[in-house]
Amino acid sequence: MATTTTTSGVYIHVIEDVVSKVREEFVNNGGPGESVLSELQGVIFFFFFVSEKIWETKMMQAGVLSGPIERSSAQRPTPGGPLTHDLNVPYEGTEEYETPTAEMLFPPTPMQTPLPTPLPGTADNSSMYNIPTGSSDYPTPGTENGSHVDVKARPSPYMQPPSPWTNPRLDVNVAYVDGRDEAERGNPNQHFTQDLFVPSTGKRKRDDSSAQYQNGGSIPQQDGASDALPMATLEGDTLCITFVGDKRVPRDFICSSSKIPQVDGPMPDPYDEMLSTPNIYSYQRPSEDFNEGRTPAPNEIQTSTPVTAQNDVIEDDEELLNEDDDDDELDDLESGEDMNTQHLVLAQFDKVTRTKSRWKCNLKDGIMHINDKDILFNKVLCFPFPQLSLELFWLTIILTLAV
Amino acid sequence: MATFELYRRSTSGMCLTETLDEMVQSGTLSPELAIQVLVQFDKSMTEALESQVKTKVSIKGHLHTYRFCDNVWTFILQDAMFKSEDRQENVSQVKIVACDSKLLTQ
Repeated sequence: MATTTTTSGVYIHVIEDVVSKVREEFVNNGGPGESVLSELQGVIFFFFFVSEKIWETKMMQAGVLSGPIERSSAQRPTPGGPLTHDLNVPYEGTEEYETPTAEMLFPPTPMQTPLPTPLPGTADNSSMYNIPTGSSDYPTPGTENGSHVDVKARPSPYMQPPSPWTNPRLDVNVAYVDGRDEAERGNPNQHFTQDLFVPSTGKRKRDDSSAQYQNGGSIPQQDGASDALPMATLEGDTLCITFVGDKRVPRDFICSSSKIPQVDGPMPDPYDEMLSTPNIYSYQRPSEDFNEGRTPAPNEIQTSTPVTAQNDVIEDDEELLNEDDDDDELDDLESGEDMNTQHLVLAQFDKVTRTKSRWKCNLKDGIMHINDKDILFNKVLCFPFPQLSLELFWLTIILTLAV
Repeated sequence: MATFELYRRSTSGMCLTETLDEMVQSGTLSPELAIQVLVQFDKSMTEALESQVKTKVSIKGHLHTYRFCDNVWTFILQDAMFKSEDRQENVSQVKIVACDSKLLTQ
């Protein structure tokens, strides 16, 4: 039947199906009641048609449409049946069907349906924008939006941020399985927490690691292989640090003067040797002033900024070397897509294959939102192919001919 | 039972989410019940697409990006052409998100 296979017909069917199946939950077990359910259904329809009405209005304002599009007689629903509304054609209120209201769209329920603000007629389109239903959430599809919340993310209709009451860990792209996701996501976090305490011992229960800490054992707090653990001894007024490890730092360098050089910037020459050796934790803390009588605990020295200072130098070099690694065009594209996805296809895939550079995707049961239209499909054959550069294109031709 | 939350990003899914969001914030509806409604929407939409829709479409375009993660394919196509039985559409850029249909039957 034509009415059931149109896009809006399917949507209406889905809405009614959902409402009928959750009716029991609403009515029984102390739920909100039938009135709330009817209101929900009505408001969903309301949002549905408001978005389309805004589209038509915008098109008229832009001069694309000289007037409302004439509806063909075939699209008028049969008398007595539910009003089917084809989203693909802007709706025009006729004499028989005024702008649809919640009451018209579904049979009256025993309880009076609380009617939301009815859709205004074509003369009152401007009032739509004042409807306090989050109208900012329905801009024209072409409008750019500044805010974006990553999902795991609006006012683009397709990237609305998840509501606070929804499970923030749900990913719309992943099949939802009750309870399973929580268990899966709990464990990695636990392992990560454990690693902070005992990096070299692998997986361990939390109790063991905390017990170890409580026993007073020293917990290494350096990143990476902690081969060299410095020992600090206080000799007189000078704090001397020796390193137990591959290389020993001559104590003369450190304990020779009561004042520790505190010059920021490049290291003085005597320290070059230390710095050039990779596994040494060189003691150079220009920002620290030990002459102030501070005696840090031995373990605190390990949180060392010479490592940081050294790393900063390395990081600067790395930043310079890596600064062009990211494909800015791709990043902009991706973020732009997320923020303002005008054209979107949501479907299930049966098979995705690739032969050299030719992809073939068999998709099914999907919804396409293209050029402000919704198209539903049962099957899609998708043949994307990557853009070839001109040189590669000619090379491909030459190789093919040679063979 | 597993459901695809994929369709919540469609027009009707967004309408439903908006509505439920407002009702929860106003206290008319409890969050648990709202989530139940969304799950039921997932099921109903999947079933409706399977049983009520018979359209076949063909898409061709330049593949700009492809990604397969967590059993979800994401493609970004440029200069794509959509051909169905009665119409043809051209878009400069389209994003295709597809979940594995076998997950539902498991």
